[in-house]
Amino acid sequence: MIYGKIVRSPYPHAKVVSIDLSAAEKAPGVKATLAYMKAGDEVHYQGDPVAAVAADTEERARDAARLIRVRYEALPQVSSEAQGMQLIGPRWSTTQPNTRAGQRAETGDLDAGFKQAAHIVEQTYSTHIITHVCLETHGAVCEWDGDKLTAWVSTQGVHQCAQGYAQALGIPQTNVRVITQYMGGGFGSKFAPDSQGIICAKLAKAAGVPVKLMLDRKEEHLDTGNRPSAFAKIKAGVSSDGKLTAFDGTSWGTGGAGASSGFPLPYLYQFPNRKRVHTDVYINAGQQRAMRAPGHPQGCFLTEILMDELADRVKMDPVEFRIKNAPPLAPNAQWVKYFAEGAKRFGWDKRHATGDPTPGPIKTGMGVSAHLWGGAGRGSTAHVDIMSDGSVVVKCGTQDLGTGTRTLVAIVAAETFGLPVSGVKPEIGDTLYPFSGGSGGSTTAASVTPAIRVTSLNALDALFAKVAPTLGVTPDQLAAEGGRIFVKGNSSKGLSWKDACKLIGTEPISVDGKWEDGLSSSGTSGVQFAEVEVDIETGIVRIKRILAMQDCGLIVDKLTAESQAYGGVVAAINFALFEDRILDRVTGQMVNPNMEWYLLAGMSDIPKIDIVLNNMPERGVIGIGEPPTVSTASAIANAVRNATGATIRSLPLHPHKVLAAIEQERAGGTN
Amino acid sequence: MVQITLTVNAEPVDAAFAPYKTLLEVLREDLNLCGTKHGCELGECGACAVLLDGQPVLSCLVLGVDCGGRTVTTVEGLASDGRLHPLQETFADLGAAQCGYCTPGFLVTAKALLDEHPRPTRDQIRDALSGNLCRCTGYQQIYEAVEAAIGQAGPKGPALRDTRTDASSVRRPGPFGPGTDQSR
Repeated sequence: MIYGKIVRSPYPHAKVVSIDLSAAEKAPGVKATLAYMKAGDEVHYQGDPVAAVAADTEERARDAARLIRVRYEALPQVSSEAQGMQLIGPRWSTTQPNTRAGQRAETGDLDAGFKQAAHIVEQTYSTHIITHVCLETHGAVCEWDGDKLTAWVSTQGVHQCAQGYAQALGIPQTNVRVITQYMGGGFGSKFAPDSQGIICAKLAKAAGVPVKLMLDRKEEHLDTGNRPSAFAKIKAGVSSDGKLTAFDGTSWGTGGAGASSGFPLPYLYQFPNRKRVHTDVYINAGQQRAMRAPGHPQGCFLTEILMDELADRVKMDPVEFRIKNAPPLAPNAQWVKYFAEGAKRFGWDKRHATGDPTPGPIKTGMGVSAHLWGGAGRGSTAHVDIMSDGSVVVKCGTQDLGTGTRTLVAIVAAETFGLPVSGVKPEIGDTLYPFSGGSGGSTTAASVTPAIRVTSLNALDALFAKVAPTLGVTPDQLAAEGGRIFVKGNSSKGLSWKDACKLIGTEPISVDGKWEDGLSSSGTSGVQFAEVEVDIETGIVRIKRILAMQDCGLIVDKLTAESQAYGGVVAAINFALFEDRILDRVTGQMVNPNMEWYLLAGMSDIPKIDIVLNNMPERGVIGIGEPPTVSTASAIANAVRNATGATIRSLPLHPHKVLAAIEQERAGGTN
Repeated sequence: MVQITLTVNAEPVDAAFAPYKTLLEVLREDLNLCGTKHGCELGECGACAVLLDGQPVLSCLVLGVDCGGRTVTTVEGLASDGRLHPLQETFADLGAAQCGYCTPGFLVTAKALLDEHPRPTRDQIRDALSGNLCRCTGYQQIYEAVEAAIGQAGPKGPALRDTRTDASSVRRPGPFGPGTDQSR
């Protein structure tokens, strides 16, 4: 195996004048070089891949990469949304405009809505850009056997990745095998082979030996996706009795170089008359990718901060105000219940009105926020083999990002067969196994577990058919539980699983099955509460506790479901207080492409987190990977507002912004 | 190439490698111990932590050539006689790992903590593990897992929070409950 290294553009915007690989080709240990772009092409962000090299050691690959001479003609760049929206000034591309019309929706009668309003709030809100920062960077090992490719990829979708390789390399998908036994986090950024995966395959083909190409931390920040920014200028009205009447929002945001930035707005609450117009702004920065509940944390923040401002105008408690304006109670809409129950659990009655009256620099406050998500299942397939020695293998071409998919596969099959979890061997993460979709949109549990259940039941039916004659009953009279197969209603009449499987004979039971409707559904709701302490002298926000009320239909495994919620909350604490992709506005370079100045929460930054999962078995399985990360940041920001009396309408809540908001409030506020 | 002799996971080992290689690279590439992970290679994330003479170090910041005659413990050395270290048991049982990429670093660092302070307070756990970043779990379960492992070196440790039992109790009755006919 040899190592690949990518040469990337140091410029955020430039024209490639020439690429000279000759010096690199002659460098020691070099086995292959590759021009990924050609003279005349345009690079659109710092880190845009231009060329690559493979050599027998990582160090030699790095040395050779430095010998690849790329000449650029630097072009003016766009480094911020504001710059991109200027009518005159730099363009992100020589061929495409800086902005494009995005989402647009209008319902009801806006003018009438504002006429019904007793109070109107008009403000601008925004969220920032963060990157995924998977602890394991993106990358692959590629090996060719003739025209067949095997790729070990850190991916959230083995089958999707195989499709991507086939299309990019012009080979049949049947010639591509993608393997992902384990991987170190994806969060939405690891679905396709990406440039590094395709470059890795091409280098391996050219070199005639397997190539490993893993990105370093800087490349990871620059070129593997991010959560787009979101801005909205909102005018909203509320009636004197606390009913929302109208919402008029003009929004924009950037997904980087040519990528969109849409998000839902207004979020969740019922504005009978509303209008929303969105503009995608393009800047010279890495493209966005789906990031854990794409769009929702942004839409949630912009709406939820507004909600607290509106509640204050009508002098209503924020929980009461939200209950009044949330959609009515339904299986997929539990908010009104969670607001009430959560408020009781959290001790919301101890919350003071906006602005902690306690003397001294430390101010305490509480905030609340709500969210929704889909999480529906679809089209997974599976295969089960039961051997005559009683061993069971379950195969499904899904993958485990760390969410516990492998555990769920084993749990569902084992429970169906009445075996301990250790009695089933789950095999996933390989395109040799039956098709299952990419792990995104919180769809995996709802897609995979029904397929495993159905396939396991098919296998059990086949086993019952073999066992029934020996027990002198018909197959439908049999049950499997506690490691035995027995006659229903007469548990002493039966066989151990092992003895039952001896009746299978030499040809194992080998059955396929697929996802069926009825075992999963879609639509989750959640409400989160936060309590914070703010030091108004330093601007430092410390979170004291978080309460997350969440449902995800039938809870298949409490441990992994809770773990998703804990992890989602902490990811959102990062979004609220720490992470921030900072571009230098003069050079367009990311100034913190590391894990030190790109701040990340550690053990000491974590509050007490309480997760309350509402098990709804009647709804079937629904995903939980994304929803718990949506509303935490808004609840924190509202708690900071409650503590300080100052409204911070823009994330992240870095100390300088908290202090600025407090100063502004002292100077008379913005209302 | 340089050649050194060191003790890795209680076994004497000879290693020959290029002098610029870090301990992380020597472990992964020359000694085939891939449990220790590359996270940032900048000394910022803690994924590459190993124990050097019993003390946690970031192996991406240690040169292999500096390790001659020294003792290295990696995650592969935590289990003994086919039995997992109590920390590995509690991390698994309490869900202190998701993708698992940070886990080797957390495990060895927590082991060093328990070796030095057999009954650490939550503050001591926080201080000891504050150099390790996790992107998945949310840390709370890591606190719980380290606390659950306290005293487990002895014959009987404290009872664990039995989430597995909880899980099976919420799993039924439901469409996936036991039996063959409930969901059809």
